[in-house]
Amino acid sequence: MAQVRLGNIVKHYGDSIAVDDVSLTVEDGEFVALVGPSGCGKTTTLNLVAGLLELTGGTIHIGDRQVNELDPKDRDIAMVFQNYALYPNKTVYANLAFPLQMRKTAKADIDRKVRAAAASLDITHLLQRRPRELSGGQQQRVALGRALVRDPKVFLMDEPLSNLDAKLRVQMRAELKRFHQDLKATIIYVTHDQLEAVTMADRMAVMNHGVLQQYDTPEVVFNAPLNLFVAGFVGSPAMNLFPAEVADGGASLLGPEGWRLTLSERNAARARRATGGVILGARHSMIGLHGEPATDRIPGRVYTVEPTGDITFVHVRIAAANVIASVGPDIRLRADDAVWLSFDQNKLHLFDVASGQALRD
Amino acid sequence: MKEHGFWRLGGKLYLAALVVFTMLPMVWMVITSLKTQFAALQYPPEWIPRNPTLDQYWLLLSPANAVGREFLRYLFNSVWVSAASTVLGVAVAVPAAYAFSRFRFPGRNLLFYSVLLRNMFPAVVFLMPLFIMMRWLGLVNTQASLILTYLTFGLPLSIWLLKGFYDNIPVQLEQAARIDGASRFQAFLLIVMPLSAPGITATAIYSFIMAWNEYVYALTFLNDKDRLTLPVGLQRFFTEYATNWPGLMAASFIMSVPVVALFLVLQKYFVRALTDGAVKS
Ligand SMILES: Nc1ncnc2c1ncn2[C@@H]1O[C@H](COP(=O)(O)OP(=O)(O)OP(=O)(O)O)[C@@H](O)[C@H]1O
Ligand SMILES: [Mg+2]
Repeated sequence: MAQVRLGNIVKHYGDSIAVDDVSLTVEDGEFVALVGPSGCGKTTTLNLVAGLLELTGGTIHIGDRQVNELDPKDRDIAMVFQNYALYPNKTVYANLAFPLQMRKTAKADIDRKVRAAAASLDITHLLQRRPRELSGGQQQRVALGRALVRDPKVFLMDEPLSNLDAKLRVQMRAELKRFHQDLKATIIYVTHDQLEAVTMADRMAVMNHGVLQQYDTPEVVFNAPLNLFVAGFVGSPAMNLFPAEVADGGASLLGPEGWRLTLSERNAARARRATGGVILGARHSMIGLHGEPATDRIPGRVYTVEPTGDITFVHVRIAAANVIASVGPDIRLRADDAVWLSFDQNKLHLFDVASGQALRD
Repeated sequence: MKEHGFWRLGGKLYLAALVVFTMLPMVWMVITSLKTQFAALQYPPEWIPRNPTLDQYWLLLSPANAVGREFLRYLFNSVWVSAASTVLGVAVAVPAAYAFSRFRFPGRNLLFYSVLLRNMFPAVVFLMPLFIMMRWLGLVNTQASLILTYLTFGLPLSIWLLKGFYDNIPVQLEQAARIDGASRFQAFLLIVMPLSAPGITATAIYSFIMAWNEYVYALTFLNDKDRLTLPVGLQRFFTEYATNWPGLMAASFIMSVPVVALFLVLQKYFVRALTDGAVKS
């Protein structure tokens, strides 16, 4: 296993910039998730690490070796592709054996390793089949098996679970996480599903338009997003974001809908740092719903109620803006009820409108 | 319903007529080849030969006599010319089609369409220009001139067909192979080639049959009796042994055997190549 270091990597396709000056270090044995919306450059970044694409600029180190000029075969990596890329004319056994054959492993060793990998993934009974005779989940396991028959320095995975149904995805997620823990493998895992990233990764790198937005543990990314993009991207349902003006020298916020919210000392200090307006950010779980008004509450009206079992999501209208809050399953609210929203001031997020950056202490 | 039945019946009759029309000459060829020379000239003709004989086949295929030696010479020439142009054609078409499918290079589209341009003209148009070029090259009256010509005739369709094949093979397969430890060339050889085997087979058959049957260029480029290919050779048979109809028919039959055999054995590939490669892309 090894550390992976990206130093200011850049990739252009003709005139368009797919990866723009990304620097990050994946520590030895770390599971890093690369997340971001479609087209943000995740696959491109992964393919650059794999050596399937040529860098426009920057450097990539795997371990203490600079690999910029190395062929994929010499980088000692394994990759799981989104569409699995199993060799269609080979049996499962031959698929798993291929990476070993290419590396001139002795026949007996190949057989032993293939069978061990197959056993650990529970696909021993499928060894003589061809890929098209397998279900999606089985193909996924074979793809994973082909990656782990060798023990490469780094595993690269490009949305390996995205073609599976929801139930299988949850199961495979747990297995992958377990696999990482058992092998202490260095893994770079691409996904556009932020839930996968939050649940599996040691650290997550959030990308947008080829630019790295934030790189930290899921807790930090979730609790202290650096900018509006990360705030809106991570978390489901997305963080509520609404614009406001700073009033009373920072002591309170004034909404365009006419509400006024008194800020805590700490938040007031932050708000004073804003160059113009601010954007108030609050996750659904930080919003309280009340039956009567107070100075630190905003009035609204219930729009719809979505009970999900454990938790009930309440969509609240504040004039034209929509806010999603959550309450316990036993609280009864009906559409068009008047409610007042309060915010946990310790977990309130404030962003500068002009720069989109979070306002810090 | 009734109309439906009518069209069905009509269609079947039409197909049946077509089969008779195309098959009858061949059937007649085989029947005649089994007759004695005397029986072949009888009128009204015998539909079923009364004394069927394989004499003509023995004559043609035995090196013990002059006719047999000549025929076997032509047969060998044909096999050589067709096989050489097929092998060379595949050797050129495979990398060319792969490059057109996988790489983006300046002038790619222009080059691709100019390859196809050749097929928009009837082959005879190139007869004189090619003859002059062959004279420059000093290749007139050599089999190399034919091999080269057939090569250029087979290539456009081969490249076009194979490109369709490569377009349908996901590039991720090669990427996976390269990560699994293969070089670019190994990825092509070990992963892509086997997947495109039906396409390669189909284009090879196509080139072979085209070269096997070609007549006009073979007639123009070659003079030496020893170097002739079968189609032209048969023509000489026709003039030299004009009265020997069964012999001519037997020779024609032998000539059509490889074509039919290739088609029967490999038609599965041929159909797959045309549908997989061309239509989907
Ligand atoms: N071969 C290519 N030629 C030109 N542009 C490309 C090429 N491949 C990708 N791009 C562009 O580069 C950008 C990043 O693409 P990339 O495939 O890395 O996105 P992604 O984050 O993996 O998206 P997704 O979640 O949809 O897989 C996109 O805007 C894409 O259109
Ligand atoms: Mg992608």
